[in-house]
Amino acid sequence: MSKFYKLQITDLRKETADSVSVAFDLPYELYNEFNYKAGQYLTVKFTIGGEEVRRSYSLCSSPVMEEPLRIGVKKVKGGLVSNHINDSLKVGDTVEVMVPEGRFTADIKEGNYKTYYLFSAGSGITPILSILRTVLFREPRSYVHMIYGNSNQESIMFQNELEQLQEQYFDRFVLVHSLSRPKSKWSDLWKSSKDKPYLKGRIDKKTVSRFIGEYPPYAQNAEYYICGPGTMIQNTKEALKDMDVPGERIFTESFGGQTEGADQDAWENATLIAHLDGEKIEVNVPKGKTLLRTLISQGKNPPYSCEGGVCSTCICKVKNGKVHMKNNLALTDEEVADGYALSCQSIPLTESVEIVYE
Amino acid sequence: MSEKNKTMMHELPVEAYTSQEWLDMEMKYIFSKTWQFAGFVEDVAEPGDYISVQAGLNNIFIVKGRDHRLRAFHNMCRHRGTQLLRAVGKAKKAISCPYHDWTYDLEGKLISIPKREEEFPQLKGELHKCGLNLHEASVDIFKGMLFVHPDKDAPSIMEFFGEVEPYLGPHIVEDLVEYSENDNEPFYSREIKANWKIVVENYIDHYHLAHLHEGTLNMYDHARAEFGWAGPHYWFYEPLVPDYAKDVKNAAPYPLIDSVPEDKIGAYVPWLFPNIGITEGESSWNSFHVIPLAPDRTLVNIRTKVMNVSEREFTRQYTKSSMHKLWSHYGNKGKYEGDPETDPMASGDFMAEDVYACEQQQKSLYSPKFQVGAQAQRGEYAISKFQSVIKEWIEKYKDQ
Repeated sequence: MSKFYKLQITDLRKETADSVSVAFDLPYELYNEFNYKAGQYLTVKFTIGGEEVRRSYSLCSSPVMEEPLRIGVKKVKGGLVSNHINDSLKVGDTVEVMVPEGRFTADIKEGNYKTYYLFSAGSGITPILSILRTVLFREPRSYVHMIYGNSNQESIMFQNELEQLQEQYFDRFVLVHSLSRPKSKWSDLWKSSKDKPYLKGRIDKKTVSRFIGEYPPYAQNAEYYICGPGTMIQNTKEALKDMDVPGERIFTESFGGQTEGADQDAWENATLIAHLDGEKIEVNVPKGKTLLRTLISQGKNPPYSCEGGVCSTCICKVKNGKVHMKNNLALTDEEVADGYALSCQSIPLTESVEIVYE
Repeated sequence: MSEKNKTMMHELPVEAYTSQEWLDMEMKYIFSKTWQFAGFVEDVAEPGDYISVQAGLNNIFIVKGRDHRLRAFHNMCRHRGTQLLRAVGKAKKAISCPYHDWTYDLEGKLISIPKREEEFPQLKGELHKCGLNLHEASVDIFKGMLFVHPDKDAPSIMEFFGEVEPYLGPHIVEDLVEYSENDNEPFYSREIKANWKIVVENYIDHYHLAHLHEGTLNMYDHARAEFGWAGPHYWFYEPLVPDYAKDVKNAAPYPLIDSVPEDKIGAYVPWLFPNIGITEGESSWNSFHVIPLAPDRTLVNIRTKVMNVSEREFTRQYTKSSMHKLWSHYGNKGKYEGDPETDPMASGDFMAEDVYACEQQQKSLYSPKFQVGAQAQRGEYAISKFQSVIKEWIEKYKDQ
């Protein structure tokens, strides 16, 4: 399940001062396996300082264009892997990569007639760029209305590419930049606010509702895709819900940012019964360990990939007992109500917990 | 009972133009299975605005949500089926039936019933899971026009109109404004005493243009007309006659529509299946909505749009045009001499001429001697093609 393939880097492109995009060469025999949908991500594995680490990065390339797989990686302060990728990797290096996964995807089809609202901030642009390019290319009748939030002009990833798309698809692609700390030039003093090609501030409720008022959907089958840090998603989603956008039309993907957990509520040394690949495993959960990590330290092989509560590869069903998820960005409220949990984020809240990997 | 008249028009029997039975079939298998014209985008301009329109057998309620997206439902309260829905509340976040105040949210989900516990103990749990939500329909926009489809999962509107779209005029309809003598009334509305298909066939008949309208539509160059079919739809284009083209700026009755490049000026007159024509001209843009009322009665509503310019500019163009020498030979001369008030053929008005021709044809359909003698192979090709599309749709859905 968690199989890694060795792929060679064919291109490394500096996108901004602190981000790169990395393209991989895909041997012909892996074409089928690496078939992906716009919005999905790759999980990469490195051994850094003797420790095996995995991270997931969204693909910014488009599956409908003849182009290599490409991920976008922005440096995270103190981030082990993102700094390694930005600073140490070179063209020609091989990286261990898992097949594309992820549920943040759009159903993009040639005959569609839709209006896509895309909201992204920072490196949240990566899956959005993939969706954007795929829609514009594949759905000649659909419209895209997009906001992209950044701190300033220089932190805008894929700026040239976005400008090109604006030019090429001017009649059905609207892009508005939102900058929280725009760099001002002396010449700006003489400009009226109307001339500035961006909104000032973070993407918040007001920005979202104004944007939709200004760019209402033309094709009435509208969908809303949000990708960025947790608070940006929260604000955008709330703004959309306040405007009565139905929940089933909203799709989100969060980049990092864990919620402070109720770690202290964990049941110490709880018993875990796990049903995995036909085996019944019984084990104690050491304090602070997740159900997934507990199983891995027992030499078991549960499914997982991002370990960030995003991808849902590690999904299991809780049969008995209760768990707390430190971070859940993948499961819907209904799925949680039905007993599903992300084992990589789950800590036991009861003396005994029984789970099944289905 | 009289024997059925088996005489053929071309593809359809004459009774298709005279019998209630045929109209019922068309209502069921055509008008309730296609995207139906519902007005202009600006009819439902702001969040909370709503209209209801009849589309074949269905009355459809369209409302704009605060997310600026349109929703469509069958205008029928799930309680007793009353056609009374309206958007209510300060924020217009709810749809309600005034009869017993059953209330739905903007997704059509039932959210409240007065005296629920006492009167409807059988409705347990969450109301929106009781199977009494509004029936959803589809709504979308094409060329600045609203269209509805009675099915929730209707094929996309561009699947329906996509093939004909490249043949339509380059007019940017959204930039034009509606022109009408009286507010909230179409520019032209008239009941015609003829079957709706007679009206359509007249609209798509190229052969009659140079004859019935020899003095009224002669500013267009019928000899250079191009036309054909794309999917179930008909498309048509003809340029202006050279006399008009060379001074169209001064002669046009209204300011020229500026989204049409000079070399593309002309009359685009497509027919969108089944019952909406558009007439996209040099200075006006019109929707021509044909609504069957009875086998021999049809309502035609024409709404017209013009450039969004000041009253002054509009009047100036109108004055310039009305004094232009072009119009002494073109555009308004009756075919025959006579009283323009009482004889349509002396009216100098092409609509009066068409209405007259349609009504006179309908009258003949009841005669035992009626038959179509011959068909112009190019000029009237569209008529038999239209009839075969009608036949196709009825056959497609009849056995389902």
